[in-house]
Order: sequence, then C-alpha cells, then structure tokens
Amino acid sequence: MKTPLFLIIILMAACVYAQDASIKKDGSTYSIELPAVRPELKPGDGKERTEAMCNICHSLDYISMQPQLSRGGWTAEVNKMINVFGAPMSEDDAKVIINYLTIIYGKKD
Amino acid sequence: MNTLFTRRGFLKTAGIITAGVTLGRFDDLVASENKPIIFPEKKKDLILLTSRPPQLETPLPYFKELITPNDALFVRWHLANIPTSVDLNQWKLKVNGNVDEELTLSMDDLKNKFEKATYTAVIQCSGNGRSFFEPRVPGGQWKNGAMGNVTWGGVRLKDILAGAGIKGGSVEIAFDGLDTGPLPSVPDFIKSLSVDKALEDDIIIAYEMNGGRLTMLNGFPVRLIVPGWYATYWVKALDTITVQPKQFDGFWMKTAYRIPDNACACIPGGSKPQKTVPINRMNVRSLIIDPADGQKIKTNKPTEIMGLAFSGGYSIKDVLVSVDEGRTWKEARLGQDKGRYSWVQWFYPWRPAKPGRYTIMARAVNSIGESQPMESLWNPAGFMRNKIEKIEVNVG
Repeated sequence: MKTPLFLIIILMAACVYAQDASIKKDGSTYSIELPAVRPELKPGDGKERTEAMCNICHSLDYISMQPQLSRGGWTAEVNKMINVFGAPMSEDDAKVIINYLTIIYGKKD
Repeated sequence: MNTLFTRRGFLKTAGIITAGVTLGRFDDLVASENKPIIFPEKKKDLILLTSRPPQLETPLPYFKELITPNDALFVRWHLANIPTSVDLNQWKLKVNGNVDEELTLSMDDLKNKFEKATYTAVIQCSGNGRSFFEPRVPGGQWKNGAMGNVTWGGVRLKDILAGAGIKGGSVEIAFDGLDTGPLPSVPDFIKSLSVDKALEDDIIIAYEMNGGRLTMLNGFPVRLIVPGWYATYWVKALDTITVQPKQFDGFWMKTAYRIPDNACACIPGGSKPQKTVPINRMNVRSLIIDPADGQKIKTNKPTEIMGLAFSGGYSIKDVLVSVDEGRTWKEARLGQDKGRYSWVQWFYPWRPAKPGRYTIMARAVNSIGESQPMESLWNPAGFMRNKIEKIEVNVG
C-alpha cells in the first residue's frame, strides 16, 4: 500500500509532538497538556443537538463506546444526565436526543 | 535529530491510527491539529476509551511484568475538569470537619513530618472487565486492563488523622480531589470510608508510585491508597479530607458504585437489586497473560503458560491451571511474593503433545479459601468481574 506523502508528513509531525506532550516543570509547577481529541458522532437526525448537549460534560466517545442500548436504556442514560448531573436540556431536546441515540446507537431488532 | 523521529516510532504512531480505522473503534474520532492521540506521561499504545475526561486502558502484554510501569498504568477520571497544572508551593492537603485541630499540610510536611510507608498493591477499577458482561451494561467498556500492580509510597492516613484529632461521635471520613464537574450541578467526586476503615494501618496517602512522583493522570500530587479495595476509593489529586459526624451521602457513595447486598454481589442478569451497599473489597482474580488468546503454539515444544493472580488483601495460596477446558487442574508455580496486596505471577510448564485447539483456564484461591466462579456473576453496574477466564490456543 502506498502512503500519501501528506499523511507521512502529518505522522512525522505527530511523532515530534509526541515527545513534547509530556509533563513540564516550571519552578514548583507541574503541567501537562491533554491531546486535543474531538470525536464526532455518526450522522443522523438529532446529531447536532446530541453533540452540543453531551459535549458540555464529556467527549462523544462516551456514547460510541457503549453497547447497543434499548430505547429504555438510552432513556435512562439521558434522564441520569438531566436528573443527576443537571444537563441543561429541554423536554424537546431530551426527546430528540433519545431518538437519535436509539436509532443510531441502539439495539437493532 | 529527534529520537522519536525513527522508523519504529513512526510505525507505532501510524499503527495507532490505522488500527483505529480498521477496527472501527476510532472511526468517529478526529485528532485536531494533526496531533496524535497520546496522553502526557503515558505510552502510545494504551487503549483509549474516552478522551474527556480521559480513560485509558493498559494492554495485557504489560502485565508480563510484576510491576506495572507508571507510563503504562491505566487512567480513569470521572469529571471533565481534571487537574493539568499543580503548583506544589500552592497545593496543600487540608484536614477539616469534625476534628480537634484543622491541618494544612504541604508536600514537604508530608515527606518530612511523617513516617513513610511503602508497599506494592494492585489498583483495579470496579468496572474492570465490564465489556464482557452478558447482558451488556452501560459504563466504561473496559476489557481486563483497568488494573495494575504498583509500589506505592506515602504517609499513613491514620498518622495524619491522629495529628488532627478525630472528635468523638465521628462516623465517616470523606476524600475530595482537585477534579471538578464542568457544570455546578455535577456532583463533585467525593468518596468516604468509615472511621474504622480509615484508621487501618495500610491506608496511605501516596506521593510516590514505583519510586517516582505520581503521574499527573494518576493523581499527582497525592492520592489515597486503600489496598485491597477497588480503586474508586483511591481518590486522585487528593486535597481535602473531611471528618464527618454522620454518614456522607454524596452521589458517588449513595447512588453510584454500589453492589447488590448479598454474598456474591450478584443478581440474575437483567434484573434490579432489592438492596445495595457501597462496593468495597476486591474479589479473587487470575488472568492468563502468556500465551495470548488465539496464539499459535508448536506441537511438542516446551512452553510456559504465565499469568497473575490477586485478591483483596489476602495472599494467593494456589493457582490451578487446566489445559483441557476444566476437566483436570494442576497447581502452577507461584512467583515472587511481594505481600498480600500485590499480585503474584504464576507459571505453568506445558508441552502439548497433540495438535489441535486447547482451552486454557486458570483459577486462584486465596488464604481464606475464596476463589473464582466458573460462570460470570452479574450486577447492573458491571462491577467485580472475576469469573475463571478462558483462552484458546492453536497447537500445530
């Protein structure tokens, strides 16, 4: 397989960055920089609203990682986000998001 | 020339990205600004579960070593705002609440004013192995790499509490770290222990892992170590200890991290428990590390099966190995004993005479007779998986 040149350059740049992406010490201060990872969700009705709402508290790989949940399972997850963690979403938001998650990341019948 | 600018380093990074695409695991993941997905102070090949907050899993081959290196140890945070910068001149460990005298301790205080305690202990996430639960359960989909064996060094909690003086009538001690939720409504990650538990000799506030400082992602500058108990109690980037006059009832104790209140902490798959209690001591586990599942082995070639075993604070007495899918079991040889909180390595010589598919199983027994079940025990949060693991190898 032939690797495109631009990909090689990107990967080489990535390697150089890798060594710097460790802990830095400045006097008595220790600092790290987290990698900028921006996972996205699969296309579907409600994707944008789901991404916007869920991203407030956690990256979207939290969603893609889950097993295929039933509608009841996804409803319970969304309700937990509202009732326990205070996700600022309207009833309509919740409906759209539960639908999206059930269709795109739900259990196939 | 940069040392990482090598063919090997290049291939490794390329491997991470291609593997992700092939497996479809990270096909929805975009690394912006062309930066690779590597977390500070961590190996490139850790398995990325989630990025914000980070959850990283250790690949099994690292467990061929008795001690898990700092840069290979798994990472698990609960709240998105994790500490990424700590000034040791500013950071203080505060002890307050129902005490005679509030304390504010610096790192130098911890290192110079208290006796140091050091031991090796397994750190294991409550949900280690959750992805193998059937029926499946939501949560971090860990395989078996949400654990490690680390030599911790620090200060005994009981010495610090003695310095503050626990007032009569105190019930629990609560532990809070520097991490916070992204919204004020998100319950802060605070864990609690009963006063009796907190005063046990071996609970320490660790400022060292494997002889060095803690890595930032594993809880720099200090974390609580509750050896023998699941890592949910091992609060990272600890900065506040509060003695409670009554039971602490925060979300992460009262609602989350709970198990069915019975001897096996289990209920029928898919059901709901009647009564729950906070998760606590780890059960007995063993894993087969080498050969790996699916590996090919040559007929008649002497080989050695290797793995690890541990339990929640009781030493491992025996590890029994079966190479015939559980029909017969023989004792494995145990490796170096690093104390009752450490895992022990086990070794089993094997020379398969006939070609074919073999199922290898391992089962550990601890000093109080606790062992592992043949079938998975189920609970709705996917905690405490410890069934006898099986691997298959092809001999030919």
